[in-house]
Amino acid sequence: MKVPLSFVLNGEEHFLMIRPNRTLLDVIRVDLGLTGTKLGCGQGKCGACTVLLNGEPVNACLILAPQVNGKEVLTVEGLGGDALHPLQKAFVEKGAVQCGYCTPGMLMTAKGFLNKHPHPTKEDIRAAIAGNLCRCTGYKNIAEAIHSAAYESGNSPADSERDDV
Amino acid sequence: MRIRPFDYQRAESLHHALQFLDAHGAETKLLAGGTDLVLALKAKTVAPTRVLDINELKDLDYIRPDESALRIGPLVRHARMASDPFIRQKFPALAQATGLIGSWQLRNVGTLGGNLCNASPSADSAPALLAANALAVIADVNGEEEVLFRDFFTGPRASLLKPHQILKEIVVPLCDTRSHSMYLKLMRKKAVDLALVGVCFQAELDVTGSRIARVGIGLGGVAPTPIRVPNAEALFSGTGYREALEALPEAAEAAVTSANPISDLRATAEYRRDIVRVFVERSGRQVLGNLFSEVSES
Amino acid sequence: MSDLHVVGKSYPQIDAREKVTGTTEFVSDLVLPNMLFGRTLRSPYAHARIVHLDTSRASKMPGVKAVVTYSDTPGIKFGPRSNDWTIMACEKVLFEGDEVAAVAAVDEDTAEEALDLIRVEYEEIPAVFDPMDAMQPEAPLVHDDKPGNIAFEYKVDVGDVDEALKNSYFVYEDSFYTNQVYQAYLEPMGAVAAVDLCGRLTLWTGTQIPNMMRMTYARALGLPPEQIRVVVPDYGGAFGAKMENNVHLVAAVLAQKARRPVKLMNTRRDDFLAGNPRVPMYVDIKLGVTADGILTGKDVRVVGGNGARTIYAHAIVATACYRVDSLYRFRHVRAMGHTVYTNTVPTSCFRGFGNAQMTFVLESAMDAIAEHLSIDPAELRLKNGIGSGEVSIHGWRIGASGLAECVERATKAADWAGKRSRREPMRGIGLACCNHVAGNRGFVQEFDGGAGMVRIGRDGRITVYHGESDMGQGQKTTFAQIVAERLGVPLELIVVAQVDTDVSPFGLGSFATRGTIMGGNGVLAAAANAFRQLAEVAGEMLEAAPEDIVSENGMFFVMGAPDQGIPFMDVIEAATRKQGGAPLVATGHYIPPTELPNPVTKYGNVAPAYPFACQIAEVEVDPDTGHVTVVNFVAAHDVGRAINPMATEGQIQGGVAQGLGWTLMENMVVNEGRVANASFLDYEIPGPLDVPDVVPILVEPVEPEGPYGAKGIGEPALNPSMAAITNAIYNATGVRINRLPVNHQMLVREIKKRDHS
Repeated sequence: MKVPLSFVLNGEEHFLMIRPNRTLLDVIRVDLGLTGTKLGCGQGKCGACTVLLNGEPVNACLILAPQVNGKEVLTVEGLGGDALHPLQKAFVEKGAVQCGYCTPGMLMTAKGFLNKHPHPTKEDIRAAIAGNLCRCTGYKNIAEAIHSAAYESGNSPADSERDDV
Repeated sequence: MRIRPFDYQRAESLHHALQFLDAHGAETKLLAGGTDLVLALKAKTVAPTRVLDINELKDLDYIRPDESALRIGPLVRHARMASDPFIRQKFPALAQATGLIGSWQLRNVGTLGGNLCNASPSADSAPALLAANALAVIADVNGEEEVLFRDFFTGPRASLLKPHQILKEIVVPLCDTRSHSMYLKLMRKKAVDLALVGVCFQAELDVTGSRIARVGIGLGGVAPTPIRVPNAEALFSGTGYREALEALPEAAEAAVTSANPISDLRATAEYRRDIVRVFVERSGRQVLGNLFSEVSES
Repeated sequence: MSDLHVVGKSYPQIDAREKVTGTTEFVSDLVLPNMLFGRTLRSPYAHARIVHLDTSRASKMPGVKAVVTYSDTPGIKFGPRSNDWTIMACEKVLFEGDEVAAVAAVDEDTAEEALDLIRVEYEEIPAVFDPMDAMQPEAPLVHDDKPGNIAFEYKVDVGDVDEALKNSYFVYEDSFYTNQVYQAYLEPMGAVAAVDLCGRLTLWTGTQIPNMMRMTYARALGLPPEQIRVVVPDYGGAFGAKMENNVHLVAAVLAQKARRPVKLMNTRRDDFLAGNPRVPMYVDIKLGVTADGILTGKDVRVVGGNGARTIYAHAIVATACYRVDSLYRFRHVRAMGHTVYTNTVPTSCFRGFGNAQMTFVLESAMDAIAEHLSIDPAELRLKNGIGSGEVSIHGWRIGASGLAECVERATKAADWAGKRSRREPMRGIGLACCNHVAGNRGFVQEFDGGAGMVRIGRDGRITVYHGESDMGQGQKTTFAQIVAERLGVPLELIVVAQVDTDVSPFGLGSFATRGTIMGGNGVLAAAANAFRQLAEVAGEMLEAAPEDIVSENGMFFVMGAPDQGIPFMDVIEAATRKQGGAPLVATGHYIPPTELPNPVTKYGNVAPAYPFACQIAEVEVDPDTGHVTVVNFVAAHDVGRAINPMATEGQIQGGVAQGLGWTLMENMVVNEGRVANASFLDYEIPGPLDVPDVVPILVEPVEPEGPYGAKGIGEPALNPSMAAITNAIYNATGVRINRLPVNHQMLVREIKKRDHS
């Protein structure tokens, strides 16, 4: 049995008929072909599947697709525009990316966090990303990247519309 | 890791939901946040033919203090519980506990009702509610009843809720005198883990402000259900600060005795018991110290 | 060499942009036309006979396009270093997770459902789980042809250990256990397999050893090696684990039968059960020392768990037995190592490769000895540490040794002396050193070395081909920097090609911390040859001899006349024009001056360079819960030269985090052969709040053999971390940790004992 699903993904409206036993991660990666969001454990523990749902970081692998009906989802593909988002730029420049598999999830959690807490300490940042596991970096450069994105980007209202999600 | 097909319905109102459950409760699972349900569906530990999505029931999503109690709707997300100013002020342990559930991602989705109805013996929200003597409002098509959370949990992953019933509201009695509470959670790392042991210590002063009127101690992860420890709590009635501090070790021992933990891959029973002792004393000391800090010693 | 322009600079990774935009295609992201999804049916038993196996219902299920078992394979016994593997179980399953059958279906749901339709009847047979138990005479045999369950024995005996110990002022004797831990890379193992009309197999997989794997798989599939092509997409981490694994072969067999591409990815649970975790080890050590702290002799016994099939555990146990011997100036050593079969998951490489396990043991013993002699532990290392230009007991020629500088700079940065003198209750500081290899001649019989290829087209695009593997550590960028430096062009012009065994050099791969030195030297040699060709052309254009041409920042000029140069684009355009449009192609290679160790004495210089490190941890212990917080951590690493300091520091931070996890929280809990915690819900790895800000210190003595003086960093980043932390715990509590991970309950109990004594 399929149910209608209507939601906004990275600023674009989508109307799908989907089986309700599919997760949001299935829909994003398989049905819509956006493979930036990753599957790491499927149990909501590693955070590699983090996306923003109405601006809040959530584990897409634990959300049943129908739950996002009428909502807005932002994935890493919707983070930047023509230029890199300040967070993406900071991750690149601060060595916060090694294998890169945890990176999309980290970026989305960071974005959700900075939207609410534009002036965090590094400790605040580490607490915010506690649900995102990284096995390569030891987290130091990731925290620094998020910190520098918070303070160097200016966070002005002139930032792209998608930043409001 | 794949989920078997099920029939999906969205509840349009509480009434609709109750009627649906009355007809199909036995083969239905409720979808709120879904963080526990989806895990169970993937693990095939549950196999409902129907899933009823109650997320649209906005009138189950509220935090509403009145004169005698704080009333919380079951659909309140943990993230909101943890940051709500009223809860942080009046029931700090409840805010702490919900703030320690899983990760931020989980807390944005998981609900108080879900955590309670999942009824894990180590449910983080339970010890604080037990310590606060909270009640569950259970509803079905025929009406509602109030049950103390002390009686709500019946076994590991089991509660009084029958398949045709919903947890409609959580009622936390308000204390009009000074009170304080604290939740300590033993994890295997600094964050994002379930509770190997969870301890809540809540104390309320009497009208004079110099003696304890009531202590509530809730334990999670050390028995088939979250439990209260009346023997330990009784030691504090009517005590002043010094007496209360002196009663802590005995209270901790009483808590250990009431606990009945298992040994599993996460911890041994013995270690869990030791932690109960340590945490009751630690949280007690902290709460009492905070409570009596403006009161001269008697 | 302060006149380097690209090497030595902290450039962002050249593929970071793709990674942060989510455009990188990892193995699990690949989609091929007509692709099917595979799933593996794994044994729930540790040791059982397959009495009945019926796949007919699964085969008939709509949407299922292939079901395979052992009978769909050529039935060859094989293995990377042994012949105890089959592709899927033949008659018996040997460990929980052993592959029994697999399906390929049109979608993942169907594939998983189909697994339930495969009927298997098992008859459980006696099993053995612990290597010590497996060595007992009455223990059940994992393989009938391996008496005593001994997969491998390793012996080394140099000098006169008994005499040396007898004449020692003090001999420290103790037993240790390092547990089985899981690499926990974020992207599980898996592959996309496709077979063309001629039966040629292509495997897209995250592998550290594309070429060695190909050779093993050719044997397994009964194919000539040229019938297998391995392509290495970006992949989500490895840390040693991603070598040979049946998951790739099962994907191949499914693709052969289905005649369609198949993507077979391990679920996370699959990966816990049948990935290849670290070799658990029991180690007994006797370590002797003179009254003034000079090491005399060392005697170790190692028993390592092989698991049910052999991958590289034997080499890991061998490494444990003898690699540390070249950290200090040992003259008398003896080691006996047993690699033992058990009915558990086959174990294999994890950062450190046996040296991690033994470094924990040795550095704990050193700590105990330092205390016994009342010598500063740092001083004890300096007294015994091997130095530049020395030759170790096993003939290892130490080029540049930065060990002493590591100790000096780490102790200074950590306020070692100050913190040790300020005794605070439940707070402690601990130190540990390590050595390692950069490459290991003994690992592959045929050769060791690296090769590269540089192709420059008319458009000026410089493509670098190598045969190693970037598992996220930043090898592509390292190679790009080396080539850009050698060619004298900006880094932005360099592209590093995906490793494709059809095109890339036959690299041995990334392991043994060899990538930078072997692959790096390989691409450096290729770049040097490319430069020679460019210099010929530039020389003609500038009317100068090619030997007088230099390049810098994209300009080619005669040495001494930088203002009269010609841009790189002009040179390459001229060069290709002269060749009728053919690109400029140069190969190059590096064969290190190393030797295969003598099979009996083990003597022989196995690596072109040896990295060293000194790490210092500061901890706080909660005496009531036994919880340990690492509050500060300093890691000084002799890397020869950091090609990219930021990347090198990132490796250090990541390695320490893994060492911290191993010490404080990671444990594969195996009960009667069943893994109790095959998920991240119950196998804990460090999160952002568990790891302090690690302070990395790069010591760069400039290794003569290394590309621009570089050695390597991958494994040394972790080797000392465990002992640094446990030595700090000892300093804080007086409790010596002999087993990893730290048991909180035991720690509380031991602290209480000491309080009352």
